[in-house]
Amino acid sequence: MHVTNMMGTVLSAIWQAENNEQTALEQLSSGKRVNRPSDDPTAAAEDVLNLSQQAQVDQYTQNTSGLNGLFQTADSALASVIDSLNQAVSLGTQGATGTLSTSDRQALAASIQGVLSQVVQLANTSYQGSYIFGGTAVTSAPFSSGANGVTYNGTDGVNQATIADGMSIQTNVPGSQLFMQPGSDVIGSLEQLVTAVQSGDPTATANATTVLSNALSYLSSQRVFYGNTMSQLNDEQTTLGQESTDLKSEENTLVGVDMAQAATEVTQAQTDDQAVLAAAARVLPMTLLNYLAPGS
Amino acid sequence: MSGLTNALSIATQGLMAQEEALQVATNNIANANTPGYSREVLDLEETPPVSQGALWFGTGVSADKVESIRDQMLELSIDETTQQQGNAQAQSTALQQVEALFSDPTQGIGSDLTAFFNSVNQLSTDPTSIPQRQSVLTAAGNLANDFHSTVAQVDTIQQNLDLNVTQSVNQINQLTTQIAALNGQIAPLQQLGQSAGTLEDQRDELIQQLSQLTSVQVIQTDQGETLATGNGTALVVGTQSFALTTAPNASGLQHIFAQGADITSTLTGGQLGGTLAVRDQSIPSLLSDLDGLASGLAANFNAAQKQGFDLNGNQGQNFFAPVAGAGAAGSFQVLATDPSAIAASSDGSAGSDGNLTNLLAVQNQPLASGETPLDDYSNLVFNVGNLSAQAQANASATQTSLQQLNNQLDSVSGVSIDEETANLIRYQNAYQAAARVISTVDSLTQDLFNITTTG
Repeated sequence: MHVTNMMGTVLSAIWQAENNEQTALEQLSSGKRVNRPSDDPTAAAEDVLNLSQQAQVDQYTQNTSGLNGLFQTADSALASVIDSLNQAVSLGTQGATGTLSTSDRQALAASIQGVLSQVVQLANTSYQGSYIFGGTAVTSAPFSSGANGVTYNGTDGVNQATIADGMSIQTNVPGSQLFMQPGSDVIGSLEQLVTAVQSGDPTATANATTVLSNALSYLSSQRVFYGNTMSQLNDEQTTLGQESTDLKSEENTLVGVDMAQAATEVTQAQTDDQAVLAAAARVLPMTLLNYLAPGS
Repeated sequence: MSGLTNALSIATQGLMAQEEALQVATNNIANANTPGYSREVLDLEETPPVSQGALWFGTGVSADKVESIRDQMLELSIDETTQQQGNAQAQSTALQQVEALFSDPTQGIGSDLTAFFNSVNQLSTDPTSIPQRQSVLTAAGNLANDFHSTVAQVDTIQQNLDLNVTQSVNQINQLTTQIAALNGQIAPLQQLGQSAGTLEDQRDELIQQLSQLTSVQVIQTDQGETLATGNGTALVVGTQSFALTTAPNASGLQHIFAQGADITSTLTGGQLGGTLAVRDQSIPSLLSDLDGLASGLAANFNAAQKQGFDLNGNQGQNFFAPVAGAGAAGSFQVLATDPSAIAASSDGSAGSDGNLTNLLAVQNQPLASGETPLDDYSNLVFNVGNLSAQAQANASATQTSLQQLNNQLDSVSGVSIDEETANLIRYQNAYQAAARVISTVDSLTQDLFNITTTG
């Protein structure tokens, strides 16, 4: 080929070398292979989904820790209720002996009454300003004591929280189910026991104590829900932690760059650039005139 | 004696021919870096021989014409490739600006969407919490802001492209005026059989500049070159050029008219074609995708709101607007201003979070596009990136082939300093030899005179 002017070829070689150098530097400094969607449209689009999943997993993790506090509060409230009920059962057993004086019975009844108000107070436990045993009525105390005994003002509603894709857990047990379940009515049986002790009827007191004892074991079985859910939350936290790690590594595969390789590429690009410039400096000034004696 | 006279005459012709050749070489060297210049050569011819008896003698040399060395097929390929390169480059530049709006996946509409649904999700741990409800409103507000700013920036890019359209049309009009004027100078010379040389170079250069802007058809006529746009609208006929005009359409974008007819959609080549492709196709399609995402999300979320009850026990109200139409993304707004408006409850009681399931389901509910909101956005990022990547690849590929074609043309029409220097030496030697002939004839003539004087 009749080469007349190398300037164009040389310039485009220089631009190409400088472009490569810039790309390599950008990848090294950002740590990313994909710095704009056109670098790899598919990876960029998948990165959008990956980052969304990561944010979602973070949210699930946050949900599980928030719920942990709620469940611990509920669980320890129930533990206290169970302690109180055990105390009431032994008081009832004392009342059933039939050898007590009236004043002793009255004192016994007062103690059981005290247990009752303690249980009501525990049933009105709140967590971060919300009553946790009121079903979905969380803004006012679910249990109130009046002339007709204790009444439940909450609802039977249960809430769900999502803790993983497609996985939600029940976040509450309504107070009515825990403390006033027909047949295993904790509060009702306490009230019944107070009346029986006050009346001085050992048989009625013994019966009421048995009923209370049954209600106690019912409540203990209900408490298992909270224990189970907490261990489920713990498991889920581990799973979410693993998922988060996996997603980060997937993101790195999608858009990240191997730092060692990127550093090598920068060096390579710089060497190439220098080689092109050095070659250009040698080739461009050369014409026949360089070899002709002046004035010939 | 007649032999000597002839020799003198031939030597003089030789001197003149070498002088002219030197002039051509000098002009080539002077124009070595002139864009569009085609190397010239002097056509030297023997003058007709004369007979003396049975012998035929040469009578010397004459310069026939100065010829420009060009390859019209190559020039046409270059015009065509220049046009493709201009198109791809314009698209690539514009689309790189567009994709910059989507280049950080940790910001913008995509991450806002996720943050919004996460804030709704968080509400399930404490549905009555006012701070958590407030954070749902804040996340929704961020989403609306990013819809607005994305649309506003895309609009700005579109308006800048619109300015480019007007500028390109002005440049086209200037070039066609100049080409028509050159046609007027070239045609008479060609009709006389003369080479128009540098004038043609200038016209070729202008046509190449015109090809950079739009696709051009070149037709040779005896009145010079006739130029038309890719679809046949006349730009130059002989010495007459036809100016293109621009006028805004209903949406304020400049449309291009030739003699009253709107030819905007037919202009596909060159920078102008590339600019128009992004302004009238890529960007409107992107904006329409954003509108679909915004309005679809609004419609689905509003519907989910209405299935539940707010913190005060009232049925949920519309949360976002608008739910349909062009420009939905630009006018996307959060209607709810009170944190209590989020319809988390399914039974009307404040503490219920039963309807959050419905609100969260919107995240996985298909929009009109058939995709979930985030998949829809992810596709949009893919499309923007893909368009830009294609335009960049085209720009770079056409740049390479343009470079090669130019190298080829240079090897035909370009000036080689080495070659011209060698020619200079050749012409110098020939000139010196011819001068020596004259000096020899002079000396012989002196000898003859001396004989006659002394004799």
